[in-house]
Amino acid sequence: MDKPISILITGVGFVAGHIIDALQARHPDWNLSVFDVKSSDSWRDSGIPYFQADITNLDETVEAFEKARPTIVIHTAGWVPGQGARYARRDLGTVTKINVDGTRNALQAAKATGVKAFVFTSSCCIVTDDMKHEYPNMDESLPTGLATLIYGYSKGLAEPYVLAANGEEMLTCAIRPSVILGPHSRLGPGDYQLVPQIHACIAKYETPFIIGSGENLYDFTFVTNVADAHVLAIENLLSTKTAAGEAFFISNQEPVPFRDFMLAIWREFDHVPPFEVRIPESLAWLAGLIAEWATWITGMSSMATLSRGSVQDATGTRYASGDKARRILGYYPRIGLQEGIRISCLVGYT
Amino acid sequence: MPSASDIVYYLFHAQELRSIIQWKVWHNPVHERDPSKESPTLQQCFVFLDLTSRSFSSVIQELHPELLVPVCIFYLILRGLDTIEDDMTIKLEKKEPLLRDFHNFLEKDGWSFDGNGPDEKDRQLLVDFDCVVQEFKKIKESYKVILKDITVKMGNGMADYAKSAEKSVDVVNTIADYEKYCHYVAGVVGEGLTRLFVESGLANAGLLERPDLSEAMGQFLQQTNVIRDIREDFDEKRKFYPKEVWSKHVNKFEDLFKPENKEAALNCSSEMVLLALRKAPDCLFYLAGIRDQSVFNFAAIPQTMAIATLDLVFRNPDLFKRNIKITRGHACQIMTESTQNLQMVCEIFRRYARRIHKKNTPRDPNFLEISIACGKIEKFVESIFPSQHPKAIVVGSAAAGKSPEQVEKEKAEWQEAKWDVIYMGLAVFTTLALISALMLGIAFMMGARFDIALDQLKQGKFKPPAADSGERQNILSSYGQHEEL
Repeated sequence: MDKPISILITGVGFVAGHIIDALQARHPDWNLSVFDVKSSDSWRDSGIPYFQADITNLDETVEAFEKARPTIVIHTAGWVPGQGARYARRDLGTVTKINVDGTRNALQAAKATGVKAFVFTSSCCIVTDDMKHEYPNMDESLPTGLATLIYGYSKGLAEPYVLAANGEEMLTCAIRPSVILGPHSRLGPGDYQLVPQIHACIAKYETPFIIGSGENLYDFTFVTNVADAHVLAIENLLSTKTAAGEAFFISNQEPVPFRDFMLAIWREFDHVPPFEVRIPESLAWLAGLIAEWATWITGMSSMATLSRGSVQDATGTRYASGDKARRILGYYPRIGLQEGIRISCLVGYT
Repeated sequence: MPSASDIVYYLFHAQELRSIIQWKVWHNPVHERDPSKESPTLQQCFVFLDLTSRSFSSVIQELHPELLVPVCIFYLILRGLDTIEDDMTIKLEKKEPLLRDFHNFLEKDGWSFDGNGPDEKDRQLLVDFDCVVQEFKKIKESYKVILKDITVKMGNGMADYAKSAEKSVDVVNTIADYEKYCHYVAGVVGEGLTRLFVESGLANAGLLERPDLSEAMGQFLQQTNVIRDIREDFDEKRKFYPKEVWSKHVNKFEDLFKPENKEAALNCSSEMVLLALRKAPDCLFYLAGIRDQSVFNFAAIPQTMAIATLDLVFRNPDLFKRNIKITRGHACQIMTESTQNLQMVCEIFRRYARRIHKKNTPRDPNFLEISIACGKIEKFVESIFPSQHPKAIVVGSAAAGKSPEQVEKEKAEWQEAKWDVIYMGLAVFTTLALISALMLGIAFMMGARFDIALDQLKQGKFKPPAADSGERQNILSSYGQHEEL
């Protein structure tokens, strides 16, 4: 490329902040700019141009892209439903508007402004949000579009647009990270869902309860490894271009039972469950159903810890092979899971 | 003859007794050696094989005829080296050149050695070593090269080790030292065997390009032996646990054996188990490269025994008290299973990995790392023997992967089914409505006053009036003329 490389990152969330850190560390000569719907003062002094626009509005998006004039776009902007909303359908409209229409707008704006490469932050949920199947050692040949939960469903609608947009003028690829943990980046926010929620179980005396066998393997990814994968994807699209039009599962490639992941986090806070109670999957499912009704009647459904969805989430097997990312992107998790958990838990929770 | 305690044990472990009988009765060797066609010196070699090895003798004797003699000779050479290295009565000045020159003795007619101490259990092998020399000379040149090469490496490795053991007490300081020790004792053997397997065409030549795989095989076996033998080694003033590991848990090596340090000792042994477990996926990978059943059995049995042993020693305080071993019945079960195919062997690895995982506790500093190591075994098995095919997911799910006609047909069937349900529902409701109407009609004909009942309901009086006549009077009077009713 003749022009100096300039990268626009949409969304200034947890992952985007770490992508910026990784890009600045590995390619200090690249120009960066960001795009988000929120106005954020913390970015004013960062030296990174900040464009405030709504991704669901095509005109605003194109306008921002025209100002930023990027050669590469990393589209991380998206909406992840929180705990209760994840298993419900009431936010379907919001999630498809932001994740699907937003992605289409970003693609259209990128094409209109002559962007050369487009990297999409997808999610492993595109496959694993299908509650009907187990996904051990899954690879990228698996069909998408079977997701029953709204988040994976929305990614399943958005990603095909990205991959189909791959062509001569603009190269595209999709990164599908698994469950992400980690501290906040230099400029961006931290993880406010995974580790804080698991930590909160200690205070709620929920740690002794094991749903199902506690043997089902799960994939996790330390956030800087996710950022590395994005940088590798860009480097690939700028050089060999073998990643063009492809999607990649990204994880720490250290699948462990979800239960063990939680135990490892609790241990960082010097908590070991005093005893263990195993709840069979069927009983938990029933309890989830009752809890759903109870919370629906009392109108507290957004607060529910237990639901059929969360039970299936907790007892399912979901991990990726990771071969394709290793082979094509040369991706290797630089921070191991144990180290990642240690760093993530250094942030104090109360 | 089984001892009385054995009989009692198997009375209460019928499953294990069954395994022993199964192995003894139903196990058919892939190949059987034919002693009638063997020279007297070769027969003597097999006698020594029986005497020096309990675990390897039978699997070696079932090997493919092409490899039977080379592997037997290989084993006896290594046993010879070992017998010299182990003997503390031989002075270093004498021991070192013997070990370094051992490869030259292999072709020296009539070479034998009677310098071992009288208590050395395999000393007779070296006294009669000329029979091994005789047979060594007869094997194929290409095999000879391999055997000699490995003898050189092994002899030098042992000599280096004996030299440094003379100088200091802690030979195995770092994990790297430990792996180096295991490399000389077992990794090199793995290399030699792999070269024999590939040379004979009974294993995939690709194994030679992945020396890390045969190394993993050797490491996995040897590390397991080291972990299991800690008590015996300690009693005989040897220690192979690297200082880098045990010093994290106790101050002095001896402290591992003190009852008050039970937790620390268990954490130390589980860190050792972790180091070994990490080699397991590569062992399975290696086994996938073997083409011949007899070679597969020969390679797989020690590995499955090793993972079962790791399960036995994992978080087992007896490890530091006495010599622990898997029971005979258990061993027979594993051998029966290991002599089938790769999938069975993978199943055994997965089974023991899960058992180890079950015993893992978050109080152990290596809790997550052990869990990861077990997860990687599962993941590897899943990668070669997927539990479900991606296509099954497509077929199992609604529209994906179906022709439009199929989808149309299914839609029609579904529509039909839906109407069936509706008709059935309607029929039930019609019947119920008819019966209700009939009952109400009969009641009306017999003079039931529905108007009063309805009125009462409207006033919120759901219970029949109390027996109090005054109240009844009130109710009736509110309906004026109908007092006579």
